[in-house]
Amino acid sequence: MATIRGEQGTVQFDAAGSSNATIVGTRSWSLSITKETLDTSKHGDTFRSFVGSMISGSGTVELVYDPDATGQAAFLEDVLTTADPADATFELFTTGSTSGTDSVSFAGIITDMEITSTVGELVIVSCNFITSGAITSNLE
Amino acid sequence: MAAADLNTVRATIESRLATELQSSPSIPVVFNNVSYSPTPNSSWVQCLLNFGANEYLSQGLTTDSQNRIVGAIVINIFTPAGVGSGANYTIGGRIRDLYNRIIVSGVYFDAPIGPEVVGTPAPEGYFQTQVRVTFEFIEEL
Repeated sequence: MATIRGEQGTVQFDAAGSSNATIVGTRSWSLSITKETLDTSKHGDTFRSFVGSMISGSGTVELVYDPDATGQAAFLEDVLTTADPADATFELFTTGSTSGTDSVSFAGIITDMEITSTVGELVIVSCNFITSGAITSNLE
Repeated sequence: MAAADLNTVRATIESRLATELQSSPSIPVVFNNVSYSPTPNSSWVQCLLNFGANEYLSQGLTTDSQNRIVGAIVINIFTPAGVGSGANYTIGGRIRDLYNRIIVSGVYFDAPIGPEVVGTPAPEGYFQTQVRVTFEFIEEL
């Protein structure tokens, strides 16, 4: 058994979906996966029953802004992609950066980008995304 | 990318003060671990630099990652006792201007504190004030 600390994590991304690369300066990431449910209760039932339905995900990646950091510009500017075909690929690692290991990967769309500049503090970028299509988990 | 060279950071900070105090009017400045016997009734400056907390800034362990290194400079300004505070504050102003919100070689200096009067000068026999400046440096691995 080994617990993991946040600094072991990494985010990889490719706006074109061909070859993910590490975004330097990632401070945190989060991912929430939701499964919709369909009510299958029938007349005469006394307890409600469900089956699982569509699965979707959303989350946030937070960056310590550095205009020269590898991968940052392409990531935070992806929100400006018009008619976004959801071709961008993400891989969120809990530890390391070996594709397919300790990670969750998916295609997605960056839906929000917020950059914050405050006196005496580091400039921070926060990007929200939603998944599109299958979510592959390698968190085992 | 490489681990921060703390001695380079130290040199960046200290050389800035040394260069300023060499210019007219020149004032002796003493740094950490340097012996100095002040001339009675003279003005001089002591600069003490300390590195403090380090904290994670980004993910990635030892590659493609960043740490924030913070530190503080404590600058003691000594001027002759019994002749008022003007000379002391003139030096204090020079020192304050030297670091006030300035970025040098990747070292970010915050707005200085002081010069504050030190009630019990050490060594005795001087009028002493203190300027304190916190700074930070981003280490990129």
